[in-house]
Amino acid sequence: MALQVQNFARIIPLSVPFCRSFHQCQPLNQIQLLTRLRVVDNSPIGKEAMLEGRPPKCIHVYNKTGVGTIGDKVLVAIKGQKKKAVIIGCKQKQKPLIPKFDSNNIVLIEDNGSPIGTRIHVPMPSILRKILKDRSVAKKIDFTKLLSIATKFV
Amino acid sequence: MNQADLSKLVSALRIAVKPKPRLFASPEGPAGRLRKLKATVTALVKYERIELNYPRAEEAQSYAERLISDAIRNGDCHKHTMEMADYWLDEKQLIHKLFKVLVPRYKEYNSSYTKLVLGPKTYPGYYAGTAILELKGNPFPALQPATQNYHYWLHNVLLGEAKREFRVAKAETNANLSEPVASKN
Amino acid sequence: MLRRVVLQTFRQGLAQSFFKRNAASLSESAVTQHPIETSEEASEKSGSKQKNGDESGNTVVVAPPEFRFMYPEFLPDPTMERRNKLKEKLERMDMLQRRSIIEIPEFYTGSIMAVTVADSNSPNKFARFVGICIQRGGSGLQAWFILRNVVDRQGVEILYEMYCPLIQKIEVLRLERRLDESLLYLRDALPEYSTFPFEMEAERRLNNSVVPINPIKVKLRPRPWLERWERQNLQGVEDLNLPQRYYDRAKEVAKPWEKYDLMLQYRKTIPAEEQEKIYAEVHSQLQQQDLKRKIKRRRGPSSEQ
Repeated sequence: MALQVQNFARIIPLSVPFCRSFHQCQPLNQIQLLTRLRVVDNSPIGKEAMLEGRPPKCIHVYNKTGVGTIGDKVLVAIKGQKKKAVIIGCKQKQKPLIPKFDSNNIVLIEDNGSPIGTRIHVPMPSILRKILKDRSVAKKIDFTKLLSIATKFV
Repeated sequence: MNQADLSKLVSALRIAVKPKPRLFASPEGPAGRLRKLKATVTALVKYERIELNYPRAEEAQSYAERLISDAIRNGDCHKHTMEMADYWLDEKQLIHKLFKVLVPRYKEYNSSYTKLVLGPKTYPGYYAGTAILELKGNPFPALQPATQNYHYWLHNVLLGEAKREFRVAKAETNANLSEPVASKN
Repeated sequence: MLRRVVLQTFRQGLAQSFFKRNAASLSESAVTQHPIETSEEASEKSGSKQKNGDESGNTVVVAPPEFRFMYPEFLPDPTMERRNKLKEKLERMDMLQRRSIIEIPEFYTGSIMAVTVADSNSPNKFARFVGICIQRGGSGLQAWFILRNVVDRQGVEILYEMYCPLIQKIEVLRLERRLDESLLYLRDALPEYSTFPFEMEAERRLNNSVVPINPIKVKLRPRPWLERWERQNLQGVEDLNLPQRYYDRAKEVAKPWEKYDLMLQYRKTIPAEEQEKIYAEVHSQLQQQDLKRKIKRRRGPSSEQ
């Protein structure tokens, strides 16, 4: 009996409580479903949500991997509404020469790609100039207005 | 960071070092592995020749080499080297032996300081084979003959003689061939 | 015998000081007398420590010991499975070639640097970033460093590959070291510790021979953090003010035996003999490049006058 208890203790250490088998930290910092994001433009809805302390949640990433990176369009839940947004900075590890930010920054946009706000407060990665130009489709969606309201590029 | 660690300068070892360490099953984990190796290294420095199983011998050899090479490189006034000697040698009089006996002995060596010889396999015996690990320059009789001189073996003598005879015969035939040509001219 | 003498000098140099830059300062004096020479006197004066072999007459060149801290990327990756002598040699040649085109100055983690990169997207075709070097790594042509800055209250980090052909210019604005080798904890520190103005000018250094160590202690934000900093034995961080259980746990998961694992250290580093060989191979070219740059810099203002 004693032996059995010992064996049991070896498999599940009794002194340590049961621990979860998945990571509780965010080693990858990916933008995926239910990731909290930070609105960095001066749109009233975004400002209010950030001031309330209830930042928007990502509820869909418009790409095939489901992991958002710089320039991707996402659908966010913000103050009980669904809004579209563009990611303009990631916390995740980036490739050489592409800046990595301390927070996941988004800019809220309307369906035609024009931004809701009139100003972006944080620096934008320079590579967005190319990415946003490439992703704009004539007469359908135009992201390039984001570039004109940016204050700084790094 | 894929960059060489610059904090310590170490001498190159003269033995073949494996890319990965050997893991010994030990309930204490890696600390227990080091404790096992420590006992072996202490015994090696103390007795200068020990017989043990091969995996442990091979692993302990590299640690003993590192200890001696550090002692030669840094001397006994170096703090880190002294700490290492204090850890790796359980019996403290062996620290004196390391710095006062082994360092002068190995200072002029151009080869490794230890030697690993495969031991005899007994049946039924230890599965992985035994090995004999020794410090070079020990006072014991050598395990293997020092110089292997095969010149006086009978077949070598006979072959040598045959070669010599063949050469002489060839030289004679050459001389015979060249003579008539010279006379004709 | 000769080899031992050379080793001795190498060790003595180490014992004197890690960061003494007598070579650089002495070489300056050598420039005024004989620009670039290979004679014995000049080489001795320039501190490159050339020694003539007594019988064979071939020279044994030993690089100054501080080179391994100045140019750590010349040492290969110590992982044994990935070693390839030929590839390493070819990479060293390529690195020297790249260094002859752009100046990659000496820097350490904690130095404040400015990097200018060719950027086809920006209107003026280049982008400049200023920041503190928080980490440095990689060997050979893959060597990299990370710069961090806080711009408009937003922390930004960029990883640069040192030998990337897009890099136009690397400047060191303030050459100094910190108490730690990796400053990743600045991500969790208050933003003022990693804020540097883009208009910052390069500081003139008074003492050329010693790299100063900045003893600043950084204050971290309260938890949650990106890493468990209390387990990493950081020197440059103020007291973390955590509950005792965090320190207890850190003690439980610590690996105090690793300090005694001699072979672990050996497998992580490149042996001293090999390091000497590598730096002996590259150091004359590195010093010549350095000399040429110094001459150019001196002639630059005079030609304008």
